[in-house]
Amino acid sequence: MLEVSNLNAAYGHARVLHDISFDLEAGQTAFIIGRNGAGKTTLLRTITGLLKPASGSIRYEDQDISGCPPEELALKGIRFVAQEKKVFSQLTVKENIQIAAHAMGEPLDQAVAKVTSIYPKLETFLNTKAGSLSGGQRQILLVGRALVGSPKLLLIDEPTQGLAAIVIQDIGRILKRLKDQVSALIVEQNLSMVKRLADRLFIMKEGKITKEINDRAQMADTRGLEEYV
Amino acid sequence: MALPSRPWFGANLIGLAVVAAGFLAIAYPLSTHRVTDFMIFCIFALSFDLLYGYMGRLSFGHLLYLGTGAYCTGLFIKYIDQGPFLACLVGIAAAALLGLILGLIIVRTTGACFALINLAFNSIGFFLVLSPLRAVTNGEDGFGVRAAKAWFFNPGSKTHMYFLVLACLLAVLFLLKKMTTSPGGILVRSIKENEERARFLGYNTYIFKWLTFINAAGLAGLAGALHALNYKYVNPNVMDAHANVGVVFACLIGGAGKLYGALLGGVVYMIISNFLPIYIQRWEMFLGIILLIIVFRFDKGIWGYVETGWAYLKRRYVNREGLEETTEP
Amino acid sequence: MIYTILYGFTIGAILYFISVGLSLTFGTMRVINFAHTLTYTLGVYFLVTTLAWFKGYFLVAAVVSIMAVIPISYVIERFVIRRLYGESLDYTFIATFAITLIGVDLIKWIWGVSPYPLSEPVAAQLTVGTFTFPIYRIIIFAIAILLFFGLELLFSRTVMGKIIIAALEDEEGVRCLGVNVSKYFALVFILGSLLAAMGGVLYAPISSVQPYMGLSVLLLAFAVVIVGGMGNLRGTFFSAFGLGMVMAITARYWSQGAEAMVFIVMAIVLIFKPIDV
Repeated sequence: MLEVSNLNAAYGHARVLHDISFDLEAGQTAFIIGRNGAGKTTLLRTITGLLKPASGSIRYEDQDISGCPPEELALKGIRFVAQEKKVFSQLTVKENIQIAAHAMGEPLDQAVAKVTSIYPKLETFLNTKAGSLSGGQRQILLVGRALVGSPKLLLIDEPTQGLAAIVIQDIGRILKRLKDQVSALIVEQNLSMVKRLADRLFIMKEGKITKEINDRAQMADTRGLEEYV
Repeated sequence: MALPSRPWFGANLIGLAVVAAGFLAIAYPLSTHRVTDFMIFCIFALSFDLLYGYMGRLSFGHLLYLGTGAYCTGLFIKYIDQGPFLACLVGIAAAALLGLILGLIIVRTTGACFALINLAFNSIGFFLVLSPLRAVTNGEDGFGVRAAKAWFFNPGSKTHMYFLVLACLLAVLFLLKKMTTSPGGILVRSIKENEERARFLGYNTYIFKWLTFINAAGLAGLAGALHALNYKYVNPNVMDAHANVGVVFACLIGGAGKLYGALLGGVVYMIISNFLPIYIQRWEMFLGIILLIIVFRFDKGIWGYVETGWAYLKRRYVNREGLEETTEP
Repeated sequence: MIYTILYGFTIGAILYFISVGLSLTFGTMRVINFAHTLTYTLGVYFLVTTLAWFKGYFLVAAVVSIMAVIPISYVIERFVIRRLYGESLDYTFIATFAITLIGVDLIKWIWGVSPYPLSEPVAAQLTVGTFTFPIYRIIIFAIAILLFFGLELLFSRTVMGKIIIAALEDEEGVRCLGVNVSKYFALVFILGSLLAAMGGVLYAPISSVQPYMGLSVLLLAFAVVIVGGMGNLRGTFFSAFGLGMVMAITARYWSQGAEAMVFIVMAIVLIFKPIDV
């Protein structure tokens, strides 16, 4: 479903991604781990169209999407959830969802129902300003917002970063339930999440994918994986 | 930090001689008085480029310092002493002092903030000479400046003024080149590139920005002082904030950050604003269209293209082996 | 003194009309549009012509003039402003100033340089006790209040308004949800230009009409936007009236100092609250 070949990307003169190649099949949940600065965020941002690649190709469902802007890709079924956990803080939770619903042409009630179905507690917050939500609630709102319009591929950058253990469990549960609805490419530092959810695992270092693990047994070996993070 | 590559013209005397020759040459077809005007504008443009091209800060109010220089020089001659050189020094000092004081605050800002806060001070200065200080400056009408002769120099003679200004321009070029290639100067350029990095390396960027600002103000003051001597008249137009547009254009046309670029831009702008209206009635519209084209197509300025072309020619014909060997980093 | 206050409200209202667009354009596209007051000037000159067409019916002429500005602002946005998205300040300055040069010269070409006197559309006066107020100035103030509430409604009730608010904070996030923000930013730009034209049209009868009128107002508009906060519409409202008051009061005691005082306020604000560009 997603094929990345020889992808190179740079910020100005500084090359961040070197010849990245991998693919993802429909229905799979893949994780990317690696040290800070390895280029994981840049990879997601390049796939989603926020950064133009210097060279290489990105193909999604047999279409070349390299260089497509994020708004176009969203309509094709790709959603990106950024690391910074920014919600539209001046708008209420419901209005946050409304923006997504409007873009996807989905009726608001339907969109809200979808979001509250993955996390019922959000219903009580529908009319609160998103800015007053806690970090965990924001992350859940972000994921929920991204699900409006039934996307096929989610790109999520460090969903559990900075969140409390209980909240992380909530998110883990949500992501597990989503596994059969969408494919996902997730950047994570939290290895237990990886262990629970990953079908495939990519290890990145200094802008390259250094290792690919498709064997669940190997992924279960968290001690061994720790050296990469 | 890599040292910037020196353009072939360099700081050396050959470059200065070429400039001098250039200005002498155009003094014949155009009048000396006009060329003197051009050169004064070039000095001002160079002072502006110090802030813009080297330090990377665009100011919309640099005329404040030129005006201060002009007014202080003029007022000194009018009320205290008619010696032209002393008056010029007073003008420069006043402008530099103002830059010193205002710079303390201004230099903390950047981008649009920097541009507009300079504009604000410029407007305030304009207003000050127009109204509250009217008793001294004679407000809107301005006043005449009649300097006395000093040694062999006669301010009344157009030729003498011409050579004085030319000498100042060459001195300024020399000074600026020395300054900008000194370790301090290279630091200032690195501030333009990435101030945070310079600060992380332990440099007190604030002091260097402040010093550069003072220099730029002082040099603008020099331009103002010469202006007062040349025109023999000072009025608030010398501080008109709207006129900042001209010097910004000049540096952009010529190529910001390259000494000779500012010089070239200054001459080109002077020629455009002085002669274009004669030939093309709708010159402002014409200029606007040209500018749009320049901005969207050519962002290195004329001098940038000259340099690129020169480097290409040099590689091709001087270092003949260079073509295969050269690998771009 | 009362007259000074009314004068302050009038100036404030006009400043508000002009500054809204500037604030929004900066908040959304991060472009400082130095050509912003061109539509202000154009609106006025269109008014001069349409008043002649409609034989003095101010309201019709005003509406037509304001609408006529739409295609022009669309062209400016499409071909210039959009390319300045994310560009450095110098290029933005040159490009938008170039537009002003072209625009002002066109105006001089078509309408000439000499000022056009316009008479007040509503000459009536309102007498309250010992004071007589020109109704026209009260109308201008009333329109400003209406505009304020209109904008509040626009941004809190309509989807477009919510998208703009969201984009002002997190433009990438909005795009990643599938919204084409450039389209909305363009609409915002046109709206801002319309409002500036309205400000010009309303102010013209009580000020002088000459080709460079936009430039003098532009700097004041910048001051309003900086004091109020770029992209902050409520702030713009209060700072427009605040600075309008400052101008009126200063003008009473020190006739030429009004503008300088505004710049002093702006400089003070910039020192304590520098803006990020």
